Amino acid sequence: MTIPDAKWESRMMELIAEVSVMKVSQIKPEHRLREDLGMDSVCSLELISMLAEEFGLDISVEEAAGVNTVSGAIAMARKHIEAA
Amino acid sequence: MSVLVLGAGGFLGLNTVDALLEHGVQPTCGRRKRSNVLGLRQRKVPLVVADLEQQQTLLEAMRGFSTVVHLAGHYPRLSTQPELSLQVAQRQTRHVLDAAAEAGVERLIYVSSTATVAARADRPSDERDLYARTPGFGAYHDLKWAMEQQVAAEKRLRPVILCPGACVGPFDWKAGTSAVLWALKGGQCPPHPDGVVSWVDARDVGLAIARLVKSSLAPARLLLAAQSLGFHQFIEATAARYGVAEVAPALSAEAAIALADCEERRVEVEGGRPRISRELADLIVHGPRVDGSHARALLGFEYRSLPEALGAFDAWAQRLGVGLSTRTEVDAR
Repeated sequence: MTIPDAKWESRMMELIAEVSVMKVSQIKPEHRLREDLGMDSVCSLELISMLAEEFGLDISVEEAAGVNTVSGAIAMARKHIEAA
Repeated sequence: MSVLVLGAGGFLGLNTVDALLEHGVQPTCGRRKRSNVLGLRQRKVPLVVADLEQQQTLLEAMRGFSTVVHLAGHYPRLSTQPELSLQVAQRQTRHVLDAAAEAGVERLIYVSSTATVAARADRPSDERDLYARTPGFGAYHDLKWAMEQQVAAEKRLRPVILCPGACVGPFDWKAGTSAVLWALKGGQCPPHPDGVVSWVDARDVGLAIARLVKSSLAPARLLLAAQSLGFHQFIEATAARYGVAEVAPALSAEAAIALADCEERRVEVEGGRPRISRELADLIVHGPRVDGSHARALLGFEYRSLPEALGAFDAWAQRLGVGLSTRTEVDAR
């Protein structure tokens, strides 16, 4: 599967904005999901789940629980997309 | 046999789905548009949108199912907005009942809580013991009681009400009961009152539901509890397991409730998690000793032990590799 980075990251930021307290324009790759974006563990797992549903990725709960930053979420998603 | 599970992706939901699969039943799992379905995807069970705030989605999801397992009763993290919590809880329950009746569902298995079980001075409480009126202790008890009343009054279905005690085990994503366990695993003894905790392995709740689904039994109400013991005793036993050096003494009931209220007001502003929630304080202070033997005999299982339940929790926590951090949840989310 090939998704242009710009499109992919744009959609990613929209999903993050849906579950966080930030607007899309405020979200940066280095932001931590919990400390900076105000997510709890439930929200961060919901985010990864939404991502998996949106792009048809097979992500385990254990892997999702290990994601702590926006860049980490992007990297994880990219890895699965490229492997698909 | 066709079974729809509402709340399937949550704590009791995943334990129920696992038990159903072990019993040869593949459930269809209701989900909200925005929910964590990673665990359900891993189990390769069919999913369908069923949002308790959107009755039409419930109706469409329930059509063709003979049994609905309702594990999605409203569960506010904080007790600071009791009227709003009650409104949400009653509205969502009405949506489920109306949709199930219209869809022709034959049996509804509703999972309530031992928060609705009235304490007895002369014996452990059993299936007969239900508060005659709203308990009035706090938001959690009141909304659990109100929802159970709604379900029990339902004449169009065959509701079976299960009341599990404090559930211990894997998949507690919201760190409800397991907030205490996470604190102890982290070397901290949380502030707590003494009182009674009636706990049950979450896998046994799933097992009880699976046995009910597979049978034609239709008890009106069943209590699920492996054991009742003093909460401070529970803390001491668990602290020893996790090597916590110092166990804090139990607070008085009044002090614990005052602290919980203060903590909940704080996290409403600051975020984070209360060191003790009002729900937990109320559950411990007003906790009845519960006799869960009727369910055991009727459904033919033995409750797992506390070390088994904690072992399953530990194994799950180890797989996650991180502690769960939680923030205040907005009531009507």
